[in-house]
Amino acid sequence: MTRTEQIAQLAIDASPRAKRKKFSPYILTALIAPLILAVWWFVTETRIVPPILLPTPASVVQSFPRVVFADGFGDQIIRTVTEIVGGFALGATIGFLLGMLLSSSSRLRAAYLPALSALEAIPTVILAPIIIAWVGFGMEGKVMQAALACFYAVFITTLSGLGLAEPNAVNLMRSLGASRWQTMAKLRVPTALPVIFGGLQLGATTAIIGAIVSEFIGSVGGLGYLMIRYRGSFDTAAYWVIIFFFLVIGLVTYLLIWYAEKKIVFWRHTAITRPDLEKP
Amino acid sequence: MTTLAPASTTTAKVKQQRPDRDTKGAGWIALITIAVFLLLWQFIPQTGLINRVLFPTFTDTLAGFVQLVSGGYWWEDLGKTMMAVAIAWPIGVAFGFSMGVILGTSPFIRQAITPYAIAVQALPKVVLAPLLIGWLGFGSESKIALAVIICFFPVWIDTMVGLALPAANEFKLMQSLKATRRQIFLKLQLPSAIPMIMVGVKHSLLLAFTGVLVAEILSASDGGLGKLAKEFASQLNMPLTYSVVGIVVILAVALVSIADVIERRVVFWSEESRARKR
Amino acid sequence: MTTTTQTAPLVRATGVTKKFGSGDKEMVALSGLNLEVREGEFLSLLGPSGCGKSTALNIMGGLLSATEGSITFGGKTLTEPSRQIGMMFQQAVMFPWRTTLDNVLLPVEIFGESKKKYRAKAEELLSMVGISEFAGSYPWQLSGGMQQRAALCRVLLHDPKLLLLDEPFGALDEFTRETMNQELLRLQAHTKSTAVLVTHNITEAVFMSDRVAVMSARPGRLIGILEIPFDRPRTPDLQTTSDFVALVAEARKMLELQ
Ligand SMILES: Nc1ncnc2c1ncn2[C@@H]1O[C@H](COP(=O)(O)OP(=O)(O)OP(=O)(O)O)[C@@H](O)[C@H]1O
Ligand SMILES: [Mg+2]
Repeated sequence: MTRTEQIAQLAIDASPRAKRKKFSPYILTALIAPLILAVWWFVTETRIVPPILLPTPASVVQSFPRVVFADGFGDQIIRTVTEIVGGFALGATIGFLLGMLLSSSSRLRAAYLPALSALEAIPTVILAPIIIAWVGFGMEGKVMQAALACFYAVFITTLSGLGLAEPNAVNLMRSLGASRWQTMAKLRVPTALPVIFGGLQLGATTAIIGAIVSEFIGSVGGLGYLMIRYRGSFDTAAYWVIIFFFLVIGLVTYLLIWYAEKKIVFWRHTAITRPDLEKP
Repeated sequence: MTTLAPASTTTAKVKQQRPDRDTKGAGWIALITIAVFLLLWQFIPQTGLINRVLFPTFTDTLAGFVQLVSGGYWWEDLGKTMMAVAIAWPIGVAFGFSMGVILGTSPFIRQAITPYAIAVQALPKVVLAPLLIGWLGFGSESKIALAVIICFFPVWIDTMVGLALPAANEFKLMQSLKATRRQIFLKLQLPSAIPMIMVGVKHSLLLAFTGVLVAEILSASDGGLGKLAKEFASQLNMPLTYSVVGIVVILAVALVSIADVIERRVVFWSEESRARKR
Repeated sequence: MTTTTQTAPLVRATGVTKKFGSGDKEMVALSGLNLEVREGEFLSLLGPSGCGKSTALNIMGGLLSATEGSITFGGKTLTEPSRQIGMMFQQAVMFPWRTTLDNVLLPVEIFGESKKKYRAKAEELLSMVGISEFAGSYPWQLSGGMQQRAALCRVLLHDPKLLLLDEPFGALDEFTRETMNQELLRLQAHTKSTAVLVTHNITEAVFMSDRVAVMSARPGRLIGILEIPFDRPRTPDLQTTSDFVALVAEARKMLELQ
């Protein structure tokens, strides 16, 4: 995936028409936001979209303090974020370790990969009712659900990333008599990092979904619980305030992982901005 | 600031990456693992170490499966779920593809909307599920709506990224031939994008399935496999719950296999599918 | 054609055969190679593409095991890679997450030795090949030629007795390649190491070597060994002398007559 990503980014940078910038595309970016707002305002004022689905922008803004300063709102956010972070950390760690394990033995790969790639197909949400039956409405279930949801993306990207090392780089390590572990730590893992970060990014999104769905189905707290409550009282404006918080959680997660990748996999980002110096 | 990455990952790559040198005995490892797993499943619940209601033995579960399948009443639920997927998926793909083409052919627009695409990606779209159910009711409309909203995204992004794949030199070649924008799109960008679009299409199938299941689990009245699983679970009838989950897993694997076959047909020229044919 | 020498060979390959695959997919890449590499010499393996040069070199480096026959290195049978042997490949193989200096120091890190001890030496090597000001830069900030220079420093860092070079400058342009070859000869003379160079460039092989081992196309066999008697250090002018041209012609004839 990284390879194609790189090409994609190079193409974006190098595509001839992109160079002919008369004005920055980000001016257009800035114009789109008010446009969206205007459309939102229009479709809700004219009731093209029913208020039970989407309230007016004004009512959402008005509801904002009411929702945010309600008793225990901070606790609910913390609860949901903890579930997401815990589940993500758990799932990603297991995925990474399992990817390492399978990567280190072609025998294990042949034995387990067929069954494990079937996991790719499974919509993990179907397990939510089972998990709730097992552990109840508490946070453990949400953590488990989020971990399940994100495990596979990290596992498969780790496994595929660890196989990306160039044959000559592997030969170099072998010619120096490097141990398996040294080759893993000094060559395979760094080579895999860009791909693994792709998996982390995807896994974070799915972990959030896992936690929300689990909270929707049965919970005693958290943002998902609040949403179900607000919807029960037909308070759609308050509901949208919480959607906004989920958007923020999603974006912050994305940016954190993106930033970590930029710092850790620095060679990739810098290398891409210099397409004239092609890596051999 | 940030750039878009394709929204989907692919699995099949792993298998062709490294020639499997030493796979002797792999079959045995797999068999033994399955045997040990089944034995543990069968005997641990009997020891009383864990709650047998929540963790029924393998044979109890198997009996539940037979009961479910021979009972016949789940056919309707299966039909409802599959029907919703069959409607939502093509709509989502068509919608995503159109978005990708409209927004992806010009680098300028692509760059301008990238922040919004990231925001759409970052928003967990299932948050809309309760609203859609509240608005559209418990019928199949709410399922389909949620599935479409969830599944169009990877097709959109993968189309957009795919259309940007051709290298600068390839664009130059086309321009030197005085190709029109339409020709560049049809003869260069679209064919280069198709392998990636297919990955998105496959991913969106799974997401459509997920969307339908979420809506079914959350809504109370209309049927479907998701609702069935939730009902059995709330009755603590775990053998039947596991059986429904088993059916969902089998269905999902079957759907993905079909999608794989289609992908290989369509993308016969891509390295990946050629390597898999060998 | 070969002359006998007193010193025992550093490497001796006896009847080395390598087959890839099995059954009807079996492919003989190298067939019955007998070759001696003498201490301190510069030997080239010359042959057409796909004739098994890389295979032979990888077997000498202990990266591949021979299907038949054996390799001795310093009198002992070689079964795995040795620290006394340094290898260079067609690509520079620089890790993009390490600075040039750290890339050069990679071998001692793998050996578990102190990097500090070797730091000065690495810097000295870098300045010998003229890229000392890039020690702190990352490989992707270097040109292809500079990367290969750094790779050369890396292979020389721990003073291996034997250098196995698989078309190390094959990916470089003609001019850079010539300077790199000069550089290589100078450093090899300086460190008094033994070198085996794989190439399919006849002029390069004759110019660089004390002996040229000529190989046939698939399945790879040794056709003969050509002694190159010119004194060292050699300068590019040598390539225009009639003796040199005659040797190149002879090597060409051996390749064509196979
Ligand atoms: N790991 C392998 N598995 C199967 N066949 C191989 C393998 N390595 C090399 N071969 C085959 O063995 C033959 C010799 O390969 P080798 O790389 O040694 O050639 P070479 O002389 O170095 O060629 P070149 O000059 O192109 O590098 C080739 O036909 C190649 O396809
Ligand atoms: Mg070779």
